[in-house]
Amino acid sequence: MIQARHLSKNYNGKEAVKNLNLNIRPGEIFCLLGANGAGKTTTINLFLNFIQPSSGEALINGLNVAQQPTKSKQYLAYLPENLQLYPNLTGLENLDYFSGLAGKSYDQSELTQFLKTTGLQESAHGEYVKRYSKGMRQKVGIAIALAKGAKALLLDEPTSGLDPKAANEFGAILRQLSEDGVAILMATHDLFRAKETGTDIGIMRDGVLVEQLKPQDIGHADLEKLYLTHMN
Amino acid sequence: MIWKIARKEIKETLREGRFRIAGIIVVALLSIAVVISYNYYNYVQKQHAQASSNARNLWTSQDEKNPHSAAHYGTYAFKPKSPLSLIDQGVDKFTGISIFLEAHRRNEAQFMAAADQTGLARFGDLTPDFILLFIIPLLIILMGYNSFGKERENGTLQLLQSQGVSPRKVALGKWLGLYIPISLLTLGLFLSAGVMLALTPDFGLFSWTALLLMALVYLIYYGVFANLTLIVSAWTKSGGLALVLLLSLWIITCLAAPKAASNFADALYPYPTRQEFMASVTQDQQKGLDGHNPWNEEAKRLEKETLNKYGVDSLHQLPFNFDGYRMQKGEEHEAEVYFKHYQLLKAQFQQQSRFYSLSAAASPYLPARFLSMAIARTDYGLHWDFADAAERYRLKMMEALNMDFADNSAYGNWAYKADQALWEGIPDFSYTPPSLGQIALSHLSNFLLLITWLAVSFLGLFWITRRI
Repeated sequence: MIQARHLSKNYNGKEAVKNLNLNIRPGEIFCLLGANGAGKTTTINLFLNFIQPSSGEALINGLNVAQQPTKSKQYLAYLPENLQLYPNLTGLENLDYFSGLAGKSYDQSELTQFLKTTGLQESAHGEYVKRYSKGMRQKVGIAIALAKGAKALLLDEPTSGLDPKAANEFGAILRQLSEDGVAILMATHDLFRAKETGTDIGIMRDGVLVEQLKPQDIGHADLEKLYLTHMN
Repeated sequence: MIWKIARKEIKETLREGRFRIAGIIVVALLSIAVVISYNYYNYVQKQHAQASSNARNLWTSQDEKNPHSAAHYGTYAFKPKSPLSLIDQGVDKFTGISIFLEAHRRNEAQFMAAADQTGLARFGDLTPDFILLFIIPLLIILMGYNSFGKERENGTLQLLQSQGVSPRKVALGKWLGLYIPISLLTLGLFLSAGVMLALTPDFGLFSWTALLLMALVYLIYYGVFANLTLIVSAWTKSGGLALVLLLSLWIITCLAAPKAASNFADALYPYPTRQEFMASVTQDQQKGLDGHNPWNEEAKRLEKETLNKYGVDSLHQLPFNFDGYRMQKGEEHEAEVYFKHYQLLKAQFQQQSRFYSLSAAASPYLPARFLSMAIARTDYGLHWDFADAAERYRLKMMEALNMDFADNSAYGNWAYKADQALWEGIPDFSYTPPSLGQIALSHLSNFLLLITWLAVSFLGLFWITRRI
């Protein structure tokens, strides 16, 4: 569902992503770990076609995102580190708007149900988003992905800044989405969340995917050791 | 999807205090301007009706007198005030409202409203056309300058882009979101003006078609401004920069370009001064027949030709009064001279108009301005048409008076007097302005320019937003 084939991106001679090969199937959660500047966000931006690859291909559901940007986006949802919504619209209105842009039409009760699924308390549904915390906005972001019926989900540091409870709830939602057959690529610094949530873990350094492993094959401490080894 | 984006934009705009305050100010200004214009219009209409009636009474109630004396006594032709001048007063205040019709002279219109105002009038009047042409484009800028910038600055643009919506649809949605509130405001103004005009019996020939055509011109004009605003908003990195650029664009488009066009037109195709014009007219008139002077060379030639034509030896033997006949021929010569010199003025006016039309390519304000004035029948074209109609009426009136003198008296009989029947027999001046169809046809180039502005600015918008 989310595929990279020899994907590279250069910025003024510096290679931000080097020859990345990746295949995330439906139901898989691939957690991409790496330090700042490792190339995680660049990778996600390549899948979103926000930037053009220098070489190689980024594919969503088999579609080359650079060649079919609009169509490929029909299958994916995106949640950035600090999701911003329209502050003068309510959570419900934001959800209605973005799902409408994705070509979906839901009535009020269906929209409310999506928000409830993410755990956003009902009293907040009708409040202007400018009064939301980051965690609440992230929940609306997940609801947008749910409402879109996305088959691929791209997450860029989604749990950064969330309190442990909110991060735990967020992980549960991701696992549920994975069970529903969504392929997820999550760039994160959170080793604990990666091990707890992911079905696959990759470590990126200087634009290269230097390690790829299954979370069940490694303990928390060993994962941290491995990560630090690659960072040094 | 486009509608969804537009609805969201409108909702956000309505919830923002900035638009609410600006909107209230504009609506208040518009309401005040319409009320002021309505009162002014009523006042002028009443004065016009009263002055017209007085002038006619004075004319018809003249005592018995020689018809040529009556020709010198003269009367007035009053320019009717167009109903749509309620919205656009155009150049009405500067062109005068009545022309004195008398023997031998083609007079200019007089009693300009601007001449009756104090020096403070130099700052301009609060009229609906001022709000429509200058303030509403500013409102569009205020509403739309940050349309793309805020998405970029707030970080919502990425989420928008990730939804798979095409940039063209985003651009169109944002355009509609900006345009719909403005068009509703505009249509509200035109509708209320239309209702006021329709319910006021003294407002004469009010036409909903003309009103709607004028509204259409403004809606196209605002469409162009909405496009320009969104182009700059999409092109610039920050809202602040977009606002500065758009305000500069507004100054160039609405203030600098029209004044520059006017200065260039005047410099390239200057009108003669009043003294030069009158000196040329007098010089040409002196070369021809003077109806009052029987010893004039041309008068002598006419006398000889007439005697030959009728095969008589003396002017007393002619079947009409040669004095009256000579007066009429003198009038015709003077009219020809005036016609020639006014044609020269008109040629300059047309050259200037052509130059303005070319300048309209540099600013959407110009074609919108010309069309608005033309549809309101308050432009220079209408004034020329009125002045020509008044001159045609004057010539017919002089002919009727001179020929009455010629046909009903003997040569040398200056004691002949006509009575009230002659004065009443000359119909009152009545002016029918060009039809809306004629006006639209003569301003087709301005329509095309405005539509070109809209089409090109749409292309610019789609191009600049192709990779938002």
